[in-house]
Amino acid sequence: MRRRPFSRLVLALTATAILLPALVLVVWSLAGRWPWPELLPERWSLRTARELFFGSASLPRLLLSSTLLAGGTALLSTAAALLTARAAALYPIPGKGLVRFCGLLPLLIPGTVFAMGIHLTLLRLGLTDTAAGVLLVHVVAAAPYAMAIMEDVTAAVGGGLEEQAAVLGAPPLRAFCSASLPQLLPGILSSMSMAFTISYSQYFSTLIVGGGRVRTLALVLVPYIQGGDRSLASVYAVAFTAWALAVFFLFECLIRRREKGGDGTWN
Amino acid sequence: MRKRSTGFLLLLPLAAITLLVLAACAHVVAQGLGVVPAFGLEEPTIAYFAAVLTDGDFLASLSVSLRIAALSALLSAVLGTALCAALAAWRRRWALYLVRLPILVPHAVVALFTITLFSQTGLLARLAWAMGLIGEAGDFPQLLYTPQGWGVVLAYLWKEIPFVAYFTLALMVSVSATLGEAAENLGASPLRSFFTVTLPLSLPAIAKAGLIIFLFAFGGYELPLLLGATVPKALPVAAYQAYLDPELTRRPYAMAMFSVILLLSVAMAGLWGLAARGLERRLEGGRP
Repeated sequence: MRRRPFSRLVLALTATAILLPALVLVVWSLAGRWPWPELLPERWSLRTARELFFGSASLPRLLLSSTLLAGGTALLSTAAALLTARAAALYPIPGKGLVRFCGLLPLLIPGTVFAMGIHLTLLRLGLTDTAAGVLLVHVVAAAPYAMAIMEDVTAAVGGGLEEQAAVLGAPPLRAFCSASLPQLLPGILSSMSMAFTISYSQYFSTLIVGGGRVRTLALVLVPYIQGGDRSLASVYAVAFTAWALAVFFLFECLIRRREKGGDGTWN
Repeated sequence: MRKRSTGFLLLLPLAAITLLVLAACAHVVAQGLGVVPAFGLEEPTIAYFAAVLTDGDFLASLSVSLRIAALSALLSAVLGTALCAALAAWRRRWALYLVRLPILVPHAVVALFTITLFSQTGLLARLAWAMGLIGEAGDFPQLLYTPQGWGVVLAYLWKEIPFVAYFTLALMVSVSATLGEAAENLGASPLRSFFTVTLPLSLPAIAKAGLIIFLFAFGGYELPLLLGATVPKALPVAAYQAYLDPELTRRPYAMAMFSVILLLSVAMAGLWGLAARGLERRLEGGRP
């Protein structure tokens, strides 16, 4: 076993750079008074925690709306990606290159430009300032990531087992559910996890299409940061991030339970 | 067995998404060309584009955004590759989870990280004071809210270095486990094997990640809003401000600015596509 001083150093630096800011944010959110140039707060306080739960922008409602929106985005974009991936991998359709290109297209269009344009489209459909409109925009934003994941997974699983089930007399949906779905499930879960994150972090598109009526955590956080009350901004940021991580690790647990053991490359 | 018509049915959601994206782009460009039927403007004209492209403030914003995007993409690609190499060499599951964390953290939160660490009263400035390096907060270099955009770049780096590493990891692990180890078995030093075998073969994934970051940083809104200079503003921030102008006849100027963001992004992606094709050919040994 070779020692790997370079790798260890790089990973130690990375770990510090990733975890330190999060720690500082937790300290800030509990700081009552933290004047320059002290390295630690002068006074600790739970003022921000009270504000978080009982203040004007109440956390439970924001969490609920953000989570519902992100959950809906995860379901819809993954379903769309699954259908697309199956069409491309298993059906004799022409223009598969075009399908791949269209799947990744939203990545090439800047999110700000797309939000401005879709706002104009949705105005005609009467969907601006509604949760449905915001959901639609989030689905488009998350779709390329879901497509990339589902394309790989579907190609890897293939259609062989499902065809055998069909040959043995299972109707198509049953063949899919019992032969392919269990193998696709880890991929479906990671696609959903990714799409959830994308929707949960959307700011500009929610602002433009939701018109301030659809309130998510990401939407209220930005004015708090601009407002300059660092403790209050920090407590919202901590709550926001903690919830994102909780959902992520929930998905990870589900995926690892399905995969059982993993591939042994990582220890 | 599988019917072509069923395949087309499965593509309907993708078709809907693609249509929405194209319609959105068309709407922006149409208004940038001055076609806003709601305001009674029907005749397309390039006057708004011309006005925007010759405006000094716009050009300053454009150069701020190009600089932020280029620095973020380049530095993330280089440092992300180093991180990826470290991960590929020392495979620990905790490290894999660690690099996925920044990908999950929303941009607004990263902006707050940057402020608490790098502002003139941030933690680093306090550490510098404690070590006697600076006498007061104003002595610490101003990194945030400057036209150089270092604050924005730092925030993007925090998020995107791990993204590059994660994005490239699968390819780099497979290359280094096969061809890289073959090179080492034939006597190449680990360093030489990395730079002559593993790195060139991982380059397509690294370059793709770099392009995604460039486009994202070029069109991004939150980070330059929260960490960038007020004058000149980054392009998306300036365009949105123009859009909010109460004078509605100014709307086409805003849309022309958004159109320029769109067209430059598409041009950049196109150029990248051509370059990637050239790179692939060279990797295949110059075969046409």
